[in-house]
Amino acid sequence: MVVSERFESRVSSEVSDGGDELVIRVAGNFDFNIHRDFQRAYRNVSPAPKVFLVDLSATEHLDSAALGMLLLLRDYCVELGHEGERPRVELMNANAHVSHILHVSNFDQIFSIC
Amino acid sequence: MPAFRILIIESDQQESAELQQLIQQWEYKSTAESISPASTLCAPNVDAALKSFDPFPPNLVIFGPVAARETPSESVRQLRQSMGLEPVPILAVQEVQENPAEPLYLADCDDILTKPYSRSLVELKLVAIRRFGEFSRSLMAQRDRLRRHHADFLQEQANAREIFGNLGNESCLDDTPAIRYHLSPRAVLNGDLLAATYSPDGKLVLMLGDFAGHGLAAAVGAVPLTSIFYSMIPRGFSFGRVAREINRKLHDILPRQMFCCLAIMEFDPRRQHLRIMNAGMPSPCLQRGDGSLLMIESRHLPLGVLPSDHVDSAIVNVRISSGDRLFLWSDGIHEARNGRGEHFGEARLLSLLQSEWPDGEQVFERILLAVNAHAAEQHDDLSLVELDLTDPGLLRGGSLPQEVAGGRKGTPIGDWSIRFRLCHAELRQADPLPQLLSVVMQMPGAARFQEDLAIALGELFRNALEHGVLELDSSIKGMDDGFVRYYDLMAERRSQLDSGWVSISLSCLEGEAGGSLSLVVEDSGKGFSGVRDTGSVYSGRGLELLRTVCSELHYSAGSSRVEAIIRWQAEPDAKSEGATQAEYNAIQNPSVPV
Repeated sequence: MVVSERFESRVSSEVSDGGDELVIRVAGNFDFNIHRDFQRAYRNVSPAPKVFLVDLSATEHLDSAALGMLLLLRDYCVELGHEGERPRVELMNANAHVSHILHVSNFDQIFSIC
Repeated sequence: MPAFRILIIESDQQESAELQQLIQQWEYKSTAESISPASTLCAPNVDAALKSFDPFPPNLVIFGPVAARETPSESVRQLRQSMGLEPVPILAVQEVQENPAEPLYLADCDDILTKPYSRSLVELKLVAIRRFGEFSRSLMAQRDRLRRHHADFLQEQANAREIFGNLGNESCLDDTPAIRYHLSPRAVLNGDLLAATYSPDGKLVLMLGDFAGHGLAAAVGAVPLTSIFYSMIPRGFSFGRVAREINRKLHDILPRQMFCCLAIMEFDPRRQHLRIMNAGMPSPCLQRGDGSLLMIESRHLPLGVLPSDHVDSAIVNVRISSGDRLFLWSDGIHEARNGRGEHFGEARLLSLLQSEWPDGEQVFERILLAVNAHAAEQHDDLSLVELDLTDPGLLRGGSLPQEVAGGRKGTPIGDWSIRFRLCHAELRQADPLPQLLSVVMQMPGAARFQEDLAIALGELFRNALEHGVLELDSSIKGMDDGFVRYYDLMAERRSQLDSGWVSISLSCLEGEAGGSLSLVVEDSGKGFSGVRDTGSVYSGRGLELLRTVCSELHYSAGSSRVEAIIRWQAEPDAKSEGATQAEYNAIQNPSVPV
């Protein structure tokens, strides 16, 4: 009997640049199914990084739930900002389709995209 | 924990007594460390066993050595069938010296106990079976709980669907063939929302929204969204103001990761003027009468993301000409996937709009058909709206909401006057029409002239603000991209305004034969220049409109003062009915709001 199926996590993260950056990579569909993994990737990183880099190079599609998750990350940075320096969020390496979605939703107004 | 019930089927009394004794010596420690004995019951054969089920539903059945030899296979199957869904293991006792081929039905049993009994082996087996039983019982309980939750969930969805459905009750979507729409039956699941109504001066305001979030959460967000929409638009608030209010409200109530993409448009069928704002929706498409397509790209963040917003800069102004149609859609169309996972995409959609253009009537159906044909599995997950902007069906009298307009038509209006003066600070943001209208509409009999007044007031106020205070020249609109430039310039000058005023006064007189409402608007501007002919004062259209709703219109060169007079004839029955008179008094007494 299969009690639960385990998916291989599509979210990976690593600290780089001497601890100043946290790179979060999302592979495949960036959607609601990974919201726990995504939150786990950026919460409780100690010491808090100066930049959260969301690497979208392996992201094929991004939906509104993913945009919501990015807003939560942004809020988390505001929270961290109460205690010390407020970290930035940067989105990078988005493919054409994903850039289009970010552009249509005008999320490029509130996130820096590189 | 319920006792573990073991049913022994054995015709030989000595054998069954031996088994029973063996079992009663056994002490079972459950996982929760509580010691619970097993209870036993003996039945001589399968028939008797079946009868005992009601008071004693067994967790385990053991066939004694004699019964194991004598019971036919069908009886064992019958026994198993009548034990219900929960698995109840069946054991058979087999004597070791016996010829193993003899019991025919062993295949129908789950396991055997060997005789002579080894106490430790029997206990081991009973413990294993009991653990298995507990496990399957907890699985069943979980399954039942899941079923209940799922049923609750479906019920909640049904409730959400009903709420969603009722929210649309106030819409004017079904009032005219000029609006065609398809809303996914799964709208509750994908959070699409469509609303439309008229402003008091006859502008159609329509919005198509898409909540990030699903099910109940989306339905919950839709409630304030539609209630703001349906209460503010019919009171004459501009749609930019309404969008700001919606944004504020959604930001206040929604969890951070939830927001609403929204395309909202206001169309004035008299002035052929379309204003549209796209906040995160796939670009609506204006299909021009000449076949060209104009995409209204998203120029704003979805609503509910930021606490406050300057929606006005995201509003696009378009002058509509004959044959123009507007298409709005949700991302369900763009993201519909075929078997190979390819999105339907904007390119397919636009080529459909271009290629099918000569057969305009059919485009709506063709889009739906094409998307459904493309998306092999995912049907009906899309919303589509088509507006025929030059259909005369859109020309409709606006009406104030029932509770405001009241059925006061026919009651006397009385004599009154009010005066407003708006200074530069108010003019930067203010939207004075709703306040003015709501005050005026409290007056008895106001329903008689409300639409005319709304139009006249709107025209005169716009003239005073745009040409008087902001000194904008209508001739800009005549240039190539002038229409858009005009409104950009207006937004810019308005936001930087640091002097100027507009004053509005209304006075109403009513006699036996009828009444008149005089509307005087003045501003701080230079006034009408003597050189300009009347056509340019209101850029043609505005003047025409004023002439249709007003009986008289006075203005003169060198002055900014414009007077418009709306007259009406007395309705013969108005005062003769006692009931009406009583109502008149009742309303008249408390309502002197000035």
